[in-house]
Amino acid sequence: MTTTDVPAPTARPPRPAPAAKRRPKREREGAAWVFLSPWVLGAIVLTLLPMAVSLYLSFTDYDLFNPPHWVGLRNYIQMFTQDPRYWRSVVTTLTYVVIAVPLQLALALVVALALKTMRRGKGFYRSAFYAPSLLGASMSVALVWRAVFNDGGTVDNLLGTGGWVNKPGWALVAVALLTVWQFGAPMVIFLAGLQQIPAELYEAAAVDGAGRWRQFLSITVPMLSPVLFFNLVLQTIQAFQAFTPAFAVSGGKGGPADSTLFYTLYLYDRGFVASHMGYASAMAWVLLLVIGAVTAVLFRTSRSWVFYASEGDR
Amino acid sequence: MPGHRTKGFCAAAAALVLSAVLAGCGGSGESAGGGKVVLRYTWWGNPDRAARTEQAVALFEKQHPNVRVQTSFSGYDAYKQKLAIQATGGDAPDVMQLDYRQIDQYASGHVLLDLGKVKGDLRTAEIDPGLLATGRVDGTQYAVPQGRGTETVVYDVKAWKASGVVLPRKGWTWSQWADAVRALVKKTGRPGATDPGQSEDAFEVWLRGQGKALYTNSGGLGFTADDLARWWTFTDRLRREGAVSPAEQTTQLDGSVENTPLGRGKATADFNWDAPSSGYLALVKGGVALAPMPSGEDGTPGQYFKPSMFLGIGAHTGHRKEAAALIDFLLNDRQAAKILGATRGIPVNETIREQTASQLKDFDKTVADFQSSLEGSLKDPPQAPPSGDNALQTTFQRDYDQVSYERMSPRRAAENYVTEAKAELRS
Repeated sequence: MTTTDVPAPTARPPRPAPAAKRRPKREREGAAWVFLSPWVLGAIVLTLLPMAVSLYLSFTDYDLFNPPHWVGLRNYIQMFTQDPRYWRSVVTTLTYVVIAVPLQLALALVVALALKTMRRGKGFYRSAFYAPSLLGASMSVALVWRAVFNDGGTVDNLLGTGGWVNKPGWALVAVALLTVWQFGAPMVIFLAGLQQIPAELYEAAAVDGAGRWRQFLSITVPMLSPVLFFNLVLQTIQAFQAFTPAFAVSGGKGGPADSTLFYTLYLYDRGFVASHMGYASAMAWVLLLVIGAVTAVLFRTSRSWVFYASEGDR
Repeated sequence: MPGHRTKGFCAAAAALVLSAVLAGCGGSGESAGGGKVVLRYTWWGNPDRAARTEQAVALFEKQHPNVRVQTSFSGYDAYKQKLAIQATGGDAPDVMQLDYRQIDQYASGHVLLDLGKVKGDLRTAEIDPGLLATGRVDGTQYAVPQGRGTETVVYDVKAWKASGVVLPRKGWTWSQWADAVRALVKKTGRPGATDPGQSEDAFEVWLRGQGKALYTNSGGLGFTADDLARWWTFTDRLRREGAVSPAEQTTQLDGSVENTPLGRGKATADFNWDAPSSGYLALVKGGVALAPMPSGEDGTPGQYFKPSMFLGIGAHTGHRKEAAALIDFLLNDRQAAKILGATRGIPVNETIREQTASQLKDFDKTVADFQSSLEGSLKDPPQAPPSGDNALQTTFQRDYDQVSYERMSPRRAAENYVTEAKAELRS
């Protein structure tokens, strides 16, 4: 969007620029492209091209070694009608999203609220709670997680429950806990959102006799809803794409008994273990469409529950 | 910044960006490290094999001062995955250890170099022609076997002897084995063996004991859902009785001895290949011994001598001569043979085998004695498994998870497996 031609209503009269020193517009754009080029090249070579290729591959049978050959919609048909493991991975992923995202956001909000009222040591605790978000995505922490929840691990020793990662009903819980533990990123965003809420609102409410709970429901939640929405969308998208925790915790197999077979893990299994890259590409495209659809639905519902303070001014 | 400099600046910036990108694309495997040729050599195995391989590689580097060998090893499952990704990405190691089931796939996928091209640097004259032929695909030699292995019931000698249960013996049958593990759990309080239901290898031995095979000669499935359902019903019953290890144990198997129930001290016996069983020595205090695999009820042996752990060269290596020299060294050098012993099976070079036979000691001797005790009594090995087998081995384990966690009946899981296998073999 260019704004140079439209005079702003309160604009001062344009200052006549010394014509000799001014460079032509095209040249300035050229410089911009040069500076952008690392990103543009990266976006094209590392994102757009591979996406286009994977779209093509999704209609082929491709074993990575021999040239792909066109099979039309066969991969998609097989996926939806002939592959029980595909549906198992869909159910597993949805279960994970439904468990992990709300828990993570709730925890992030609770901790952010606690930190907000804190007088001393706020910076320290904020960093301490944020640390897992930095560490948690790493392979090493996922491996530690596996050791903690394995039989003979810390949890087994403390609770005597046996190894969670080897029980089909519990392995997914262990993976979800790893995600919930990384609540730092949404927490920091919540904290920033909370500090934006004008103190007068709470003062006025207190004068009117509203208790803390009432204040939370009538002021904090609506004022925070745009931030909540932002976190919800972001974390949902991330949860659909979760790979590392399930891969590491299950030793790359999605076990036990397929209980942690996330969509992305099955995609990896099809593509790199079983060498069906065409099928894996088709799965990737379905995932992209599903994430797009879920995000669209979230945006649609947001109209009824997200409150933008600026609307109140009108 | 003055205008007249802009053009030069742009060009410089563009050049910088481009060179950064191009540097990122630079081929790996090129010489580096003080002008030396760098070879990447990868294998799977246990720490004992790693230590000996490193020692042999050091000797090779001493003899070839212009070559540096970068080694890397892991457990079999992890190795299989990593190699698959490297191979498909065109980044296969210069020298790689391969399993029988990988050769067909990687040879037909143009991952492996035709060894005929390095004939001069890689001598194979002293290898039994029949054994050497197992590394051929469609008449071309793509890999050389490093040894010969066979499956074994490996057991904790002290625990088994103390239990008073009759020791495993040659010619025992699967039902005698089942009786033994039942007796073991009663006497020792821990499962007699790893649940063999998850192992495609153990299933193959059982199947061959009945005169059948995993694959037909044309690469199709050699057994029916009925056969597999019977096998899984057999193992599932033992698991329910507690005679073999529970699902929580079996699911942790990843091809390394450390994660087996025997290695973790949670069972008295395990199924494994003979050479890698040396890894248990460090884990099982009572020491381990090797016994033959159970045979069919009429005494038909199911186990066979399998060419184990092939070596191949990456098709895109920049140093095929050096890579061939390394393989030649590992196979044919007398000192290397002395260091390596039987860590990958009994040596394939016949002269060396004869010379070293008397010098083998410790576990190498155990393996050699075990193999010679079976000599002449086993049936011919099957031909190399079809490409799909590499993935099916994992599928087998996974489908049995559904049985051992009691989420599916053996019959339903077996039908699932047969459906998946047929689809895998067709594609």
